[in-house]
Amino acid sequence: MQTPIDGTNDSYPDDSGSTRTAPLEAKSPVAEMTNKMVIKDLRFYYKKYEALKGINMALYDKHVTAFIGPSGCGKSTLLRVLNRMYQLYPGQYATGEILVDGQNILDPKLDLNLLRAKIGMVFQKPTPFPMSIYDNIAFGINLYEKLPKSELDGRIEHSLRKAALWGEVKDKLKQSGLGLSGGQQQRLCIARAVAVKPEILLMDEPCSALDPISTQKVEELISELKSDYCIVIVTHSMQQAARSSDYTAFMYLGDLIEFNDTATVFTNPSNKRTEDYITGRFG
Amino acid sequence: MTVTDSATISAASSARKTALTLRGPQKLFDLLFGGSTIFFAALVLLILGGVVFSLVSGSRLAFSTFGTDFIFSQFWNPVTSKFGARAPIYGTLMTSFIAMLFGVPISFGIAVFLTEVCPPVLKRPLSVAIELLAGIPSIIYGIWGLFFLAPFMQSYVEPYLTSTLGAVPGLGILFSGPPLGIGILTAGIILAIMIIPFISSIMREVFETVPVMLKESAYGIGCTTWEVMWNIVLPYTRVGVIGGVMLGLGRAMGETMAVTFVIGNSHRIASSLLAPGQTISSTLANEFTEATEDLYTSSLIALGLILFVITFIVLSFAKVMLIRANRQAGN
Repeated sequence: MQTPIDGTNDSYPDDSGSTRTAPLEAKSPVAEMTNKMVIKDLRFYYKKYEALKGINMALYDKHVTAFIGPSGCGKSTLLRVLNRMYQLYPGQYATGEILVDGQNILDPKLDLNLLRAKIGMVFQKPTPFPMSIYDNIAFGINLYEKLPKSELDGRIEHSLRKAALWGEVKDKLKQSGLGLSGGQQQRLCIARAVAVKPEILLMDEPCSALDPISTQKVEELISELKSDYCIVIVTHSMQQAARSSDYTAFMYLGDLIEFNDTATVFTNPSNKRTEDYITGRFG
Repeated sequence: MTVTDSATISAASSARKTALTLRGPQKLFDLLFGGSTIFFAALVLLILGGVVFSLVSGSRLAFSTFGTDFIFSQFWNPVTSKFGARAPIYGTLMTSFIAMLFGVPISFGIAVFLTEVCPPVLKRPLSVAIELLAGIPSIIYGIWGLFFLAPFMQSYVEPYLTSTLGAVPGLGILFSGPPLGIGILTAGIILAIMIIPFISSIMREVFETVPVMLKESAYGIGCTTWEVMWNIVLPYTRVGVIGGVMLGLGRAMGETMAVTFVIGNSHRIASSLLAPGQTISSTLANEFTEATEDLYTSSLIALGLILFVITFIVLSFAKVMLIRANRQAGN
């Protein structure tokens, strides 16, 4: 779906504008798009501080949405609201509505563990669990399903293949996940997230701790995974947003400034601040 | 920029000149200072060596008289000058085991609560309370144990245990006999209370070394707090936790006063946990004033040597574990 030219493009987002038409053409059948997640007037507070000031947007199924913006703009916060990870910390709360398939996930009566099993998350740094590669993936599956061994093995292989890691680890599944390289660990984490069959995949700067080659692999992975999931990615790298997302949301100081398909945001932003940010004038 | 640069350089060089003229006396002082710290450090080794030497030389008479019988014999009779350490060794190990049995899970619970569940308002007061608990002198635990815990055990806990667990075949023998209040079980419980602050604060510290992101990623696939603690945090901190438990164990085995108050001081190995017993340290505390003969004194010193060896093994094991935990955390 993505043009390979993107990956080799140089570092100025405004120069790369001409190649950005490719994703736009690729997803032309707009009619097939379905809203996976609808965010309505979402406000988020750290104690008294309002970190998100009324976000309204929709995340589309089987597409990648990127959140960009300068540090402290609330993009990671927004991501952490989407699976209610903030709930682990006292003094943080959200108001508004987040509808996943029509169900409001901010409903306090919702089963958080089930919600998080449905919404996978990948973090800035690889976080393999202190157990074998096999168990890293089996652990999440066993939380909610009791599969016979053969089926479990199959699911694990499937997840690792999905994460483009099977070939590298198939002979050392019993070894510790901590022994893998950084890039492999991150793909293991993606495999782990995929293994519990989530519907939405949240990625919080998944490549920020990775070298360029691993980054490329993870990005390729993202574009493959989007045929099955609704993917949200927070990134500091505008090239990454441009390369791997279909939609881009630019956030600034807790506000959603601009949200449109990636090509439009990068080539023809409607807001001055978006333009300043993507051309590197601030941020 | 360049003007200020050269100015700072010239200022620095003049400062260095002044420093050089001061160098002579400073150097001498430093030498004396360094020498004296070496002396202080050597003092530690000297004291340790001295203790080991006097324990070994003091216990030689007992070991040469009784041989290995000293460790395996159960008889301890000052009147006939027959001494065997089996009862105190059994008492030490048994009370420590009971202390671990209660202390470790409770400490784990406290540490989990403080790191994961506790609201921030409560966190500090609770941590301070635990530290205070650790600071209570053992004699106070002893008095409390004798005047409160032992009667409580005698009138409520022990009769209940005898009537319930005492009826279980096999296990029952551990809870048979009259409820005396004082005995191995009570001593073990006092020890558990005393080591809980240590173990729980070490556990809390190592739990806090777990990266937040690792825990979040476990929550992120739908784990409950218990699943995160048991399957992620505990394996991640395994080594440090074992080290902390070992430190607690070392303390439980050496604890003297509180145990002496509540254990009953009897040189017999009873099958029941409710019966009185003896630990190495309580034997020493009780009988040192009575030891008039050389062989008696030597036997007590030999007991001390055995305790020293046991705790040394436990503590060095703990130390190795903690070093490995730190290395793991550093990675």
